[in-house]
Amino acid sequence: MLKYFTKRLVALVLIITAISIGSFYMIHLLPGDLATVILGSGNTPENKKKLFAQLGLDKGLVHQYLTWMSHVLRGDLGKSYITNESINTSIAKALPIDLEMIVVSQIVAFAAAIPLAMKAAKKPNGLFDRISNGVTFGLLSVPSFIIVVYLVLIIAIKWQVPGTGPASFTRFPEWSWLFSDTGTFFTTLKDNLMSLLIPSLTLSIGSFVVYFRVLRSDLIATLQEEYITMARSKGLSRRRIMWRHAFRPSSVALLGTAGINIGGLIAGGFVVQYLLSIPGLGSLLIASITLQDYLVIQSTVFVVAVAVIVINFAVDFITTLVDPRIARD
Amino acid sequence: MSQEINSTNQNPAGDLLVVENLTTTFQTARGALPAVGGVSFRLGANEILGVVGESGSGKTVLSRTIMGLQPRTNVEVGGSVLLDGHQIVGATDEDLRDIWGTKVAMIFQDPMTSLNPVTKIGKQIGESLQVRLGMNKAEAKARVIELLTLVGIPSPEERYDAYPTQLSGGMRQRVMIAIALACNPTLLLADEPTTGLDVTIQAQILNLLDELQLKMKMSVILVTHDLGVVATRTDRIIVMYAGRIVEMGTTKEVFRNHKMPYTRALLESTPRVSNPSHTRLQTIPGRPPNLLKLTEGCAFAPRCSRATEKCSQERPTLEPTGVDGHYFACWNPLEDQAAPVSIQTGTIKEIGEDNVRG
Repeated sequence: MLKYFTKRLVALVLIITAISIGSFYMIHLLPGDLATVILGSGNTPENKKKLFAQLGLDKGLVHQYLTWMSHVLRGDLGKSYITNESINTSIAKALPIDLEMIVVSQIVAFAAAIPLAMKAAKKPNGLFDRISNGVTFGLLSVPSFIIVVYLVLIIAIKWQVPGTGPASFTRFPEWSWLFSDTGTFFTTLKDNLMSLLIPSLTLSIGSFVVYFRVLRSDLIATLQEEYITMARSKGLSRRRIMWRHAFRPSSVALLGTAGINIGGLIAGGFVVQYLLSIPGLGSLLIASITLQDYLVIQSTVFVVAVAVIVINFAVDFITTLVDPRIARD
Repeated sequence: MSQEINSTNQNPAGDLLVVENLTTTFQTARGALPAVGGVSFRLGANEILGVVGESGSGKTVLSRTIMGLQPRTNVEVGGSVLLDGHQIVGATDEDLRDIWGTKVAMIFQDPMTSLNPVTKIGKQIGESLQVRLGMNKAEAKARVIELLTLVGIPSPEERYDAYPTQLSGGMRQRVMIAIALACNPTLLLADEPTTGLDVTIQAQILNLLDELQLKMKMSVILVTHDLGVVATRTDRIIVMYAGRIVEMGTTKEVFRNHKMPYTRALLESTPRVSNPSHTRLQTIPGRPPNLLKLTEGCAFAPRCSRATEKCSQERPTLEPTGVDGHYFACWNPLEDQAAPVSIQTGTIKEIGEDNVRG
């Protein structure tokens, strides 16, 4: 077990190093001239030289990378070339929004997918199984930018659910319910959650569909296993067999899928963020790409990549708790 | 068939299990598959019954149907199984939950696939103690360690936390036995309990079962394809072929005076220590019949050296031999044998001609 995790940890460090190099070098592959972006019409060779000296861009690539990394390791992601704003601050503002959207959407997705998958797997090809299979298959092929539009139409416009309208997204959380000095804890929490309703629901539908289908098919396979018959022969209730004996061995693929999916949602929820003007990481990334704000792109990509890797590492860890055979070999 | 047995074997008081005209039919895409085609027998308290037959003869399905453990979809079960007054046929899982584990328990064939791979064995054994017998955690754990000791697992305290994959096949089968015995069942169904194990372990497990049967006063149905396994350990034997009983009697009678050529063929395909070395092992020519295409006649007829016209047209019913409790289903039964079955090389046909008098 320990050996397995040491190995994984070494791999983790190596991967993060590789990613840092990748996200650093990526910028240099992009077309465009930083000097034009920053200096505009004042981009004379002389000014450019001055600017590069000022920004440290006249040094070699290796030197630049090491300078960047040494700051990153000390927790300083640098400043935007364009707005001069600290990248730490920009990310600290945006990241909680992503995290909250992910946490809420994943809770909803799992809370729906697990019991429904169990119900469907109980009678494969039964009525419920066929209907849920059909519906989720349909939803699987509907992209999130369509779903989000329909949710806005139904929830915010048709039902007029208060606090969910388009205006709510721009004053989106920043975890204001925790720090706000206006209103009580619960009213701000309610505001926060209401403004989160449509984007989280959109993400949760996408996740739910995948989780449901993965878990359903694994449960059906597991329920055919001999050890399920054995569990029946002990005189255990269906419920207990489902939760204690079928769910755990069936959840390995579900966890793996969730790891990839959650990783994808960090900044990957950017379509939804963009459409609803939610100032999360995805929006930050898109804005910085439009502005060719190199260091912001580089740092955001790096942070997102590290988050994805850490999440998958955590998922691997949980997986070994669920199925200890994995860590043994 | 069932009436005959009822009339000649009236012993309702001592019978723990009464199976009458039991049928299990699977609905498959290619038609109805009669895995068990009308089986009747009785089992007394503390009795050990062997059920033998080739793979596909319906032994496993029979034992599962007796317990009510057959799959719930695409299966039809007919007839009657009375276990200590409980009707199993037609009962749902919910009905049977009260007797599963406590009245009847099963040791499954393959200890590699029958244990939950992600649950510690101690928990798997203790689960029924907690759920069924209402023990608390500590009581259950103490009892599990007792059970592990009982089935001969060394250092049970450590093994309590082992996962099935950390144990050898023999150890896993011992765990299976511990699970089956946890709630002191009155009937234990052992479905090929030693098939997946190597020979020395087989003997250990079977001896353990013998010992536990005496200790715990259970009735046991021992299902196997290996006559060597049942010879010394059972009181009575049922020989199955194509989902039906073709011969049934006390172990001694079946071994000494079997009437059914299939029983003979099975006996001869069992290796014996008394044979000279390099004796060629008999095999039964042909394959077990396709149950989807059973004919009106005797299912063994196509493979039988004694088959006549009648065999392929009319199915023989179970008839008493005259010796108490000994039945067979054959139109051309073997004569009484003075000597035990001799083993020769060659095919069944040769044996049929040379060895059988008459």
